[in-house]
Amino acid sequence: MSQQNNKLLIDVGSTYFKVSTNDNIEQHFRDFNKDILDDLIHRCGDTIKRFDKDDVYICSSANGGLNTLIIGITKTYSLKYATNIAFNSGINIIDTILYQNIAEYSVPSDLVDVVIIVGGIDSCAGLFSDSLYSYLAKLSYSNIVFVGSEQDAPALKEQISNLVVLPNVIDNKLHIVEDYLKEYLTNLYQQDIEGKEDIKSLYDITANQIYPTPYIVNKALPEIDTRYSVVNPFILLDIGGATTDIHYSKDLVDENIVTKNEFDRLVFKKLGVFKSKQSLIFTAKNNEFVYELLMHLKVTENIFNEQSQKATKILMQLAIFLVLCKISHYRKAYINLKFLTINSFVLTGGITKVLTKEEIENIVAFFYKKILTSEHRPVVVLDSNYDIWTLGVKGD
Amino acid sequence: MKVVTGVVGNDIHVVANRLIDLSLRARGFEVFNLGVNTYLEEFFDAAVETGAEILLISSLNGEAEGWGREVKLLKAKYKDLDNLIMMIGGNLVVGHGNAEDIVPKYKNYGFDLVCHQVDLNTGLDSLEEFIQKRNRK
Repeated sequence: MSQQNNKLLIDVGSTYFKVSTNDNIEQHFRDFNKDILDDLIHRCGDTIKRFDKDDVYICSSANGGLNTLIIGITKTYSLKYATNIAFNSGINIIDTILYQNIAEYSVPSDLVDVVIIVGGIDSCAGLFSDSLYSYLAKLSYSNIVFVGSEQDAPALKEQISNLVVLPNVIDNKLHIVEDYLKEYLTNLYQQDIEGKEDIKSLYDITANQIYPTPYIVNKALPEIDTRYSVVNPFILLDIGGATTDIHYSKDLVDENIVTKNEFDRLVFKKLGVFKSKQSLIFTAKNNEFVYELLMHLKVTENIFNEQSQKATKILMQLAIFLVLCKISHYRKAYINLKFLTINSFVLTGGITKVLTKEEIENIVAFFYKKILTSEHRPVVVLDSNYDIWTLGVKGD
Repeated sequence: MKVVTGVVGNDIHVVANRLIDLSLRARGFEVFNLGVNTYLEEFFDAAVETGAEILLISSLNGEAEGWGREVKLLKAKYKDLDNLIMMIGGNLVVGHGNAEDIVPKYKNYGFDLVCHQVDLNTGLDSLEEFIQKRNRK
């Protein structure tokens, strides 16, 4: 047996954890009264004992990802570049602010994980003033980074405590420079995972770095056709307990300017069916098509108050619909995918254990008919055995 | 001085664009060339990002006529572009037209300097004269 086949692969989600060996995959609902490590040892202690720390690979999405607010001076350059870099780093963008109108924007009440300030080429100076500092004074954030003109950096650093200054994302030809900000955001995401006490304790059973799950899934996508009959372009939905991740072929967007990955990903932090259930219901109630969808599924909104297998199914179907709306022209989040050219819809994560292929096809058909007024029907593929995740972890 | 230049709209006249770029550099300007097929918003955004003092739009296939009408409205949305020198040059109508009719029309659109079918060097001479006059004020 090769060394690769001797790996123990563990994915810690907000609701379930999965443990995969060469010949078996186990999935367990988490016991929230226990530390993750204790829970893991309790359920799969015998399996874990069989492996050296060097052969245990863990990824986690249990923290639900990071969110960011971007302040930039133009839509075409600074905001567009920073937005692209952020979502290619798996960061959830809660808002973008055009600096000249900053006084007109409301201040988010929730804590923002990272604020990105961007604008101006390096030979440009004096782009930011008191209106920025007044806005920031009202905002709660954990991290703040400046990736604009190097001439403005000292003034901003003097005014904003804990400001991290990185090289400009806009070069002197107005082209994008993605590496520094991308590395910073990816590291923050990584630190956020490692900083969780629960996750830290997992280093007792592994000698390898613990990666965010969306990163692992994304890495597997170029090889996906080794496991499934998937025709490019495709999208992959990973609907979990706290978040929904979407991975998509770059051919499906015109706007994306970051070039290194073949597939991009978006993380919707508050669209999960367990930990983010209330947020999902709130989003659903604000969607004008949802009541029609509930009728189509032959249920009423009372289903939101139920605790049953059927209610979970409906929530999962709603999550699919809402997330598709968010990336279509109907409720564009930051991208607008070319849905009519999608050949395959791949679904992975907990959703594959709850919904059948037919139930998912039903929602996809509803979305295409109601939102896109189209009869186009991409092929739905279910990754029921977590093959994509396994492929990503093994490839790491 | 910094100049943002490019060809507006769905116009791929890249040779003229390159000549403008080279001529501006030869005269000592710092040039930010957005190339062909450039939308109006991209020009203004580039001026903001670079801190350019001059925006020089070129057009050869008459696209400028449609885009020109939106200049005032769009520029008014920007809070820091009041002192931007706005120049346009090339073939500014579809087919033929008289400069006597075309120049006032484009000035009314919000351009300070309008060069319809004017030789490139003559046009850039007029830009330098305009800058000198403005500096004297």
